[in-house]
Amino acid sequence: MSIEPITGRYITVEVEGAARRIYFEEAGQGRPVLCLHTAGADTRQWRHLLNDAELTSANRLIAFDMPWHGKSLPPEGFETEEYLLTTEGYIETILAFIDGLGLDRPVLAGCSMGGRIALQLAALHPEKFSGFIAIEASDFQPAWYDIDWFHRPDAHGGEMGAALVSANISPYAPPAERANTLWMFMQSGPGVFRGDLSFYTKDDSLVARLPQIDTSRTPVHIIVGAYDLTCTPEDAARTAKAIPGATLSVMDELGHFPMSEHPEGFRPFFAEALDKVSKLEVAVA
Amino acid sequence: MIENFKRIQATLAKSPHLLRLGRLFSETVLIEVDGDEYYLSFEKGHLTQIEQGPSRKTPWRFALRTDAEALGKFWQPRPEPGFHDIFGLVKIGRGRIDGDTLCLVKNLRFFKEVLGIARAQEGVSA
Repeated sequence: MSIEPITGRYITVEVEGAARRIYFEEAGQGRPVLCLHTAGADTRQWRHLLNDAELTSANRLIAFDMPWHGKSLPPEGFETEEYLLTTEGYIETILAFIDGLGLDRPVLAGCSMGGRIALQLAALHPEKFSGFIAIEASDFQPAWYDIDWFHRPDAHGGEMGAALVSANISPYAPPAERANTLWMFMQSGPGVFRGDLSFYTKDDSLVARLPQIDTSRTPVHIIVGAYDLTCTPEDAARTAKAIPGATLSVMDELGHFPMSEHPEGFRPFFAEALDKVSKLEVAVA
Repeated sequence: MIENFKRIQATLAKSPHLLRLGRLFSETVLIEVDGDEYYLSFEKGHLTQIEQGPSRKTPWRFALRTDAEALGKFWQPRPEPGFHDIFGLVKIGRGRIDGDTLCLVKNLRFFKEVLGIARAQEGVSA
């Protein structure tokens, strides 16, 4: 028998004028590090890092399910609403969660759409954070698929979404973790993956904001997997180049969901990122 | 190439979990390799017929067009980035998907896992 150190609780905050009951998990003590999941998934993607005793000895790792995802219900009245994530709503949710929990300038670590919004926050609300770890994150990619495929009455959007995103998982990923990673996509609610992708593939407002990011005050470290077809190393390199002072690491044997698909392979890159952010933080202080 | 498709056919026939995934899949798929046509006909998940082209009279639902070197890399135990998935082949310009893409996407897990049957195991050549 084993009981993990991760604890889960709920917090209710107001976003876009209405209550959102948000599920979050955390483990560890020390500097707060807020971890954002990818599109079509949830907090479980971070379970390995939250269970990493060495990382949590100096870091309070916190991850929450975005409304509509995992154990965070959609807002009241959702049954007549089309879910479409927006940059503004996403930012408001993250800031409301930080304020609700009373977090003092956490490091923000986001993957995929979480990495995209991390860079938006680096440009628009840097004072709220001490650093940014943007994983599989880039300025913008239009969809190479039809996002409407993933919400239709005659097929299972989650299963189709999982089959599609499996293209982004590295062949080095242990089979069990590949399967677990895909399972989360299969479980996402009807239209949720599509609604996330609407944000990810249609809003290009970050492109013009990248040069505004001041990495001398809030460091930005980008990490990308070589097997990521959605955010390729070229996409991440282009993005890093557009942010003066941003740093970049390429993971040769990983894909788009590194913390979930191959936690052991990802761990050193995440530890390095936390270290980089700390060193820069000290330098700024 | 035909040998690989025959291996896929034989392995699929004894893979209940794949047959369950493909139980609603009864379509013909064109795999074109260096211009050579291979028509794979599925019936309720079983690969019932492998027919080599050229053919102008065989209807197909969707097609994957690629080259032998790219497909060889795809079938390595741990393919290089881009060669690890059919959409990767498309992304790096070594493959093309034509026809009813939605049909492919609805059956994507089945199709990818079936095509991956010919992938060599670690330490065994394809």
